[in-house]
Parts: sequence; structure tokens; C-alpha cells
Amino acid sequence: MEEGKAYSLNGVFAHLEMLEARAHEAAVKQEETEQQEEKLARLKARVQELRLQRDELRAKVERQEKGQLGKRGVMSDPAQRSAQAVLEWKIKSIKATLQVFYLTGISGKLTKRGVCFCISTAYEGTYLDSYCLDLLIKPEVRIHRHSVPVFIPLEQIAKKYLQTDIRRFLSVLSDHLNAYAGRRYQADQLQEHFSDQIEGTLQRNSLCNLLVFNYNVSSKSKTFPFKVRLLYGDLCCSLPTEVVVSCPPDPPASLAETAAAHSDLFRRTALHKAFRSFSSADESVDGAP
Amino acid sequence: MDNSICQVYEEIQSLEEEIKLLAEKYEDNQHESTFFSDEEIVMSIKSFQREFQGESPSYLKAELESLEADLSFLTKFTGIQFTSHFKKTVEKTRNRTVQKHRLSGNCHSLSFQLEFQLLEMQNKESVSAVITDLSIIMESGEDSDMSKFVSSTEEHGNLLTFFRSLSSYAEWCEHRRCTFLHFK
Repeated sequence: MEEGKAYSLNGVFAHLEMLEARAHEAAVKQEETEQQEEKLARLKARVQELRLQRDELRAKVERQEKGQLGKRGVMSDPAQRSAQAVLEWKIKSIKATLQVFYLTGISGKLTKRGVCFCISTAYEGTYLDSYCLDLLIKPEVRIHRHSVPVFIPLEQIAKKYLQTDIRRFLSVLSDHLNAYAGRRYQADQLQEHFSDQIEGTLQRNSLCNLLVFNYNVSSKSKTFPFKVRLLYGDLCCSLPTEVVVSCPPDPPASLAETAAAHSDLFRRTALHKAFRSFSSADESVDGAP
Repeated sequence: MDNSICQVYEEIQSLEEEIKLLAEKYEDNQHESTFFSDEEIVMSIKSFQREFQGESPSYLKAELESLEADLSFLTKFTGIQFTSHFKKTVEKTRNRTVQKHRLSGNCHSLSFQLEFQLLEMQNKESVSAVITDLSIIMESGEDSDMSKFVSSTEEHGNLLTFFRSLSSYAEWCEHRRCTFLHFK
């Protein structure tokens, strides 16, 4: 009887514990849900604030743009003419002009001990990497630091021109860098846009003046693998000096002609442009796209 | 619940970005539609010095002087002088900015006027810049070689080549002029 009592007391305690645990869980869940709801409410209020701010700004910009139609020139708002605002305007304008110098190919900044020049490179309208040279001018002009790649003959060029004619030095260096950037751009464009015509990998050296690759030429609905080797002997030029196009052995006569025509084309035209002309020529020859 | 919190976070982020771009647009418009002459600049510097005698905002004057020194040096060194530069931001989103530029200037004795669009795009690691709609007017435009050069440059958007070639051609012209003077 005693045992039975103890058992049922234990049972009651266990039951109570279980009820307590359940209540605790429910309370925790309730708190969590309330916290989430509060958080959501705060965030929604923030969204409203931001929406209001955004709408005000939009209206401000619209008014500004309407007011500017036609007239270039003087600020009508007298508060804007504070000396500080004028100076800040001038500073911003000069910075914009200095940025234009970047587009001309040579820009720079005076430093405590000399000048830091920046040579920009481009292929047609696309600007590519730029390279900096930190020059010291006393006791003599010398290069303190630079970001010119190691395969560009910087030391040779510096030895020849740096002491006597800095402009010439920068000009020759710019020729080298622009030609290198142009060659690299052509190879990159080829890999990016014409990879379906290239068999295997395009082999190139770091200076990008030696390119070897295989590409497919289709003639009368058959494809033939051509191999091409391009050597850019003039480091200041982005067109090759030597082109060897080889077709498979025992080619039909027309194919040999095509190889000769391609060889000539590669000598005169940028690589990716040459391939672009192949695609359009193919389409017109085969008829249906 | 989590889903709706996520959505709200996204909306907050997009609104904050929109606000940032609108504020920048306002600043750009303000800057691009303003013009102060050199006299006004000089007057402002003087009144600025009076206002803030001895206090720290002389950093503005120092920054202005440093930038002007850089510009003056580059102009003398390259021979390229920009006499006017108008810029208008035509499009500005998170990754893309398109600006229309109108530039006039001279390279030694050769005067030019340019208009172009500059597209800047932010990709993963870097910013790319591309020139389109390039239009060039040279003062000495009657020269047939010059006009051939100009049209080929315009066609390919070759702004960089234009300046480099202009620079060496202008220097050669200067050189020739000096040589002839020597013999007069």
C-alpha cells in the first residue's frame, strides 16, 4: 500500500514536471514569437522611413532637373555661394580634369621627392590595365618603385632615355605597354568569343608575342584542323611580323588557298576581328545559318 | 515569420542603395550645372581665409593648391592643356555609370574639341572603362592626312591613340617651327 502511494506520488510529480516543462516551452515559444513580431514591426517602420526619405529625394532631384533645363551656369540659390562651397566645387572640377588626363595615356601626381606617373593602356575604345612609376628626381632621375611587368624591357628603355629625355622614356615605355596590352586583349577576346572554333588550348608566353593554336576551318560541310603560329617580332606593335598557317597533309587545292588567305589576314588584322570575319564569311558561304 | 523578415531586410537594403544613388545623382547634377569663374574662385579663397583665420579648414586651400600644382605640372609636361571640360552623368546604377564629356583644349599649338561617352562598369575585381560615340573636331581640319586620322580614330573610339599621336605630332611641329625660326 505504501509502495502504491509512493508510486502514485512519483507519478504525480512526474506529471507535474511534464506539465511544467510544457508550460515553460510554450512560454519560451510565445516570447520568441512576440520578439519576432516586434522585430518585424520595427523593420517595417524602418522601411516606411526609408520609403519616405527616398520619395523626398526623388522629388528633390526631379525639381533640380526641371530647374536646370536649358541654362548652364550660375547657382540661383545664394546659400550655395559660400566660399567653402565654391572651393569644394573647384576641387571637384580639378579632380575631374585630372581624371581626363588618365584617358590621354599619361597622368601623374607630384610627390615629395619627385613624380608618380601613371601610364594607361587601351585597345581602341576599351581601357585596359594601367602601370605606375614612382620617380625620384634628386640627385638624378631614377625609378623608385614601379608596377611594370618583368617581361617589359624597362631597364633597357630607362638606360637609354630616362636621364636625357623623360618624355621620350615615357613615350617608348607606353608604346611597349600598349602593344603588350593590345596583344593580350586580342588573345583574351579570341578565347572568350571564339572558343568553339579553337581546338585545344591557346598557347602563349607572358609577353603575348608568341601565340600557337589550332582552329577549325569548315569547307563544304567538312571541318579541317589548321595550325597557326604567330610571332610578334616588333614589341611595340600589336600585329604579328611572322605568321605560319599550316593545314593537314594532302589538302584539297581550295584549302591551301584558304590557308594562304588566312595567313595574310592575320598579318593585317587584329586576331579577334579576323575570326569575326570568318564567322560571317562562313554564314554567307554555307547559306543557312 | 523568418521569410517575411528576410523580405523586409531585402527591401531595406534596396531602399538604402536607391537613396545612396539618388543622393549622388543630386550632388553630381549640382556640380555639373555650376560654374564659377576664376575671379570668383580667387575671391572665395580670400574670404575663406578671412572666415577661418588660423582654424583647421585651411585643408581645403591646401588641397586646392596641391591639385592645381599637379594639373599645372601635367599640362606643362604633356603639352596638353584643357581649356574647358563639361561632364554630364547620363546614367548611374550600382554597377554602371555613363557620362557624356565635352572637352576642348590644345596640344602645343594644335586645338581640338572632343565629345564622347564614357561607360564605366564595375565587375568582380575591377572597373572597366569604354569610350563610345567619339567625335573629334580639329582646328587644322583641312589637312587630308589629319582628317583621315581623325575619322579612323572616331570610328574605333581610339581616344588614347588620338592623344598620343597628337602629342608626338604636335611636338614634331614645335620642333620644326623652332628649327625654322633658327634659320630666319
